[in-house]
Amino acid sequence: MGDKANDKKDVWQGTLALMVLKTLQAMGPLHGYGIARRIEQTSGDLLAVNYGTLYPALLKLEQEGYIRSEWGFSDNNRKAKYYKLTRAGRKQLNKEEREWEETTAILARFLAPGEGRS
Amino acid sequence: MRRVRAWFSRLAGVFGKQKREQDLSAEMESHLQLHIEDNLRSGMSQAEARREAKMKLGGVEQAKENYRERRGLPLLETLFQDMRYAIRMLRKNPGFTTIAVLTLALGIGANTAIFSLVNGVLLRPLPFRNPERLVGMTSYYPKGPFVVMRDRSQTMEIIANSDSTEFNLTGVDVPVRLTGSSVSLNWFRVLGAGTAMGRTFEEGEDQPGKDSVVILSYTLWQRQFRGDRDIVGHAILLDGVSREVVGVMPPDFRFPSPKTELWVPLHLDPRTTGDYWGSSYMPILARLRPGATIEQARVELASLRPQILAAYAWRMPDDSWKNADVQLLQEWLVGEFRAKLVILLGAVGLLLLIACANVANLLLARATARRKEIALRKALGAGRWRLVRQLITESMLLAMIGGGLGLGAAVYGLKILKATLPADMPRLTDVAVDGRVLLFTATLAILTGLVFGAMPANGASKVDLTKTLRTGGDKDESQGTNRLSRSLVVGEVAVAAVLVIGAGLLVKSLWKLSNADTGFHQEYILTARVTPNQSFCAVAGRCQAFYEDLLNRMRALPGVKGAAAVNGLPLSGTWETVPSDVEAHTVAPGSHVPMLLERVITPEYLRLMGIPLLKGRAFTDADAAPNAERVTLISKSTAERYWPGKDPIGMHVKPRWMNDWWTVVGVVGDVKENSLVRNVPEWIDGEVYMPYGPHAIQGRGNESAPAELTLLLRTSESQIQIGGELQSVVAELNREVPVSQIQTLHGWVSEAAAGPRSTASLFSIFAALALALGAVGIYGVISYSVAQRTREIGIRMALGARRQEVLLLIVGQSARLALLGVATGLAGALLLTRLMASLLYGVGASDPATYAAVAILLLVVALAASFLPARRAMRLDPATALRHE
Repeated sequence: MGDKANDKKDVWQGTLALMVLKTLQAMGPLHGYGIARRIEQTSGDLLAVNYGTLYPALLKLEQEGYIRSEWGFSDNNRKAKYYKLTRAGRKQLNKEEREWEETTAILARFLAPGEGRS
Repeated sequence: MRRVRAWFSRLAGVFGKQKREQDLSAEMESHLQLHIEDNLRSGMSQAEARREAKMKLGGVEQAKENYRERRGLPLLETLFQDMRYAIRMLRKNPGFTTIAVLTLALGIGANTAIFSLVNGVLLRPLPFRNPERLVGMTSYYPKGPFVVMRDRSQTMEIIANSDSTEFNLTGVDVPVRLTGSSVSLNWFRVLGAGTAMGRTFEEGEDQPGKDSVVILSYTLWQRQFRGDRDIVGHAILLDGVSREVVGVMPPDFRFPSPKTELWVPLHLDPRTTGDYWGSSYMPILARLRPGATIEQARVELASLRPQILAAYAWRMPDDSWKNADVQLLQEWLVGEFRAKLVILLGAVGLLLLIACANVANLLLARATARRKEIALRKALGAGRWRLVRQLITESMLLAMIGGGLGLGAAVYGLKILKATLPADMPRLTDVAVDGRVLLFTATLAILTGLVFGAMPANGASKVDLTKTLRTGGDKDESQGTNRLSRSLVVGEVAVAAVLVIGAGLLVKSLWKLSNADTGFHQEYILTARVTPNQSFCAVAGRCQAFYEDLLNRMRALPGVKGAAAVNGLPLSGTWETVPSDVEAHTVAPGSHVPMLLERVITPEYLRLMGIPLLKGRAFTDADAAPNAERVTLISKSTAERYWPGKDPIGMHVKPRWMNDWWTVVGVVGDVKENSLVRNVPEWIDGEVYMPYGPHAIQGRGNESAPAELTLLLRTSESQIQIGGELQSVVAELNREVPVSQIQTLHGWVSEAAAGPRSTASLFSIFAALALALGAVGIYGVISYSVAQRTREIGIRMALGARRQEVLLLIVGQSARLALLGVATGLAGALLLTRLMASLLYGVGASDPATYAAVAILLLVVALAASFLPARRAMRLDPATALRHE
């Protein structure tokens, strides 16, 4: 079963972390399912997130101190673990956003049609 | 920083597992519920909603497993987990575990024991200051050349010591014979060895009048003087001369040999020309001076050679010390034992290979049986690497237990080993299990675990999931496993063949050696050294009378059939050599003067030893009379060497420094004086006998009569232990004369073969173990193959195959493996046994008889090992066999 997921477009780890941080910044505290859903929706359902891969990523971010988690209750009163951005996480997000923009800008210049260079 | 933080957090994740595990489950559950609710809201049915949610999550268990990998330190954590699991698995299969662990313990234990030996003898640094700067010359030199070298060498500080010098210790309850060493004054300082008590020798203490000092070994001090601290400063009587004890060495100082009990200053007196330039050859050692290299020392030694020759008052042969070389002291000490040890280490290494192959085979068979379990674990989300790790953990655990047991066995085995090995093996006392040995064993265990674990683990982890789970076993893949395990068995048989052939060759050598013609009878002869002080013999005739009395009184004892005396027994390593003039033999300029081994005997000696008189007459009592003509006997090969084709009777020889010639009156048979292989050492040219009497005394130049005779007593069968009586008779005659080395002549001969015997027995043990392991290997593979082919055999039987044919089918399979293995082994042995040529005697390294015998032996063992499983196959009930899954 696990092997099949590899065939589809998978979300790679580093980017997933950035997406998680951005989602938490935009939405405030959110549970794992919510984050997964949100990422999927934001991507316009282009990304098939295997929800299972989200949890190790969340754990990694938590271990690095960028997010914190605590148990809370969802809108319809279901118990769920909520993740929220820490100060370090906010700083990290800013940094990564900047880096990402630089990277994409550079790449865009490469990929843009010829007139961009003149 | 973040990384470090994450790492600590993960380390913490290793602990408090249960709570975290619950937490994870709860989170997964809540995730699913949230998702299902969403799905329900969008109009799915309950079942559909649940299914979709689970699929989207990618499998709860796999998600959890991924999460766990990230949570703690997976390597550490899974190691604990794998260990627990491995222990459970090993306990569940006690039979398998026992066999595997014992096999490994054997392999690792044997290796540890032999490595301890190699470590103690070859690797451990000598117990001196900066031992890597100490060197030894490969040739022996007399005192004169030593002084030349000591005074002139720019690259080395030269020292010298006698190999062994014996002393009578008297003035104590029972006189004893002690082994000591005469050492140059700078000896202790250059070696960097200090005393435990007192001091070493001081400047001037090698001068006559000041040289009455002695240093005791710790052992002697404890044994003879009961550790009395007041001994330092007191005098003891050595050879009738009073010497002041100036020091006691520490217990671990055993140099030049473990037998050395005391040290005295080397007496250097150029006036005693014969002794100073000619007779006492000593090993010469040195410490390289700061900045000097061993190559420089070598060059210098070569340049010193002409200076040494020029220092002689007479012309030395041009090729004297031509091949002298400088060696590191460690290599110098170990000498020929290095090759022996390396070969033994190679042999146990091969044994370990066989053990590994056996355990690998066991694991392979088990891995096949565990396919379903492994497939299941894979289905539950275990990755391939994770599976390999788990299987390796199991084999590692086996190797660790095996290694632990092996270490225990080695400690015990080492005791036996040390007792088996010849006592003259250098540094044997230094052999112990130390940190390096422990490290070796640990490394060996780990490597072993990896080697025998990797193959099965690799195979097992490739299990095809769906196929295996569906059918419970997959024929194609187990075919590969079978091939692997068969190759392992072939390899095992081959290696076993090499070892058994090695052992066979050594045993055959030993047999030849033990049956080598020594030239004398060995049975019912008791020997003992009876050694009055030299000063006692200085008075003319006193010594002769003492021995005559002694021999007569011994002959009178019941049970003694004959008594004789000689100045040195064959194979005992005592000889006196005389540079001689030989009639009709002119020494070519530049070549060396004949060195003759001089045996001084009483007339009865030849008869008692059974040395045949080939020509002429033997000695009589009259030859020992003061006014008798000087007569001598010569050995057959010596006569043939110097007077080929001539009648030796009536020819003459004489010691260089004498004026009177000795007339040859008889020719006697050759005797193995040096070893079971050689008559006389390389540097001795021949052997002559002289009657013990006044002439023999004069024949030894400026010294007095030989005071160190060995008594030989021919006893009746029942009274071989007549030594006690000898001691009391000697005590009655002279209370100051020690009796030492009471031993049968047979004992001396047997001791001469001690080295080859210990090598042969060790090798035989290894070979026997290899054979046993090989047999177990064949048995295992054939049994397993019979179990696998049960259905096939059933079909064959149903189609009309007779039981004998089934038996032949199985035995034939084993025979094919064995033949292949034996053929490979013989080829390997042809290559490898050449390395042990130096240990062989009277048998070639490719001795056809040995090879053939071993080939047959191995085939028989292989067939025997396959007989049980073959019989099982033969007795199968076709109906049951056909239903067999």
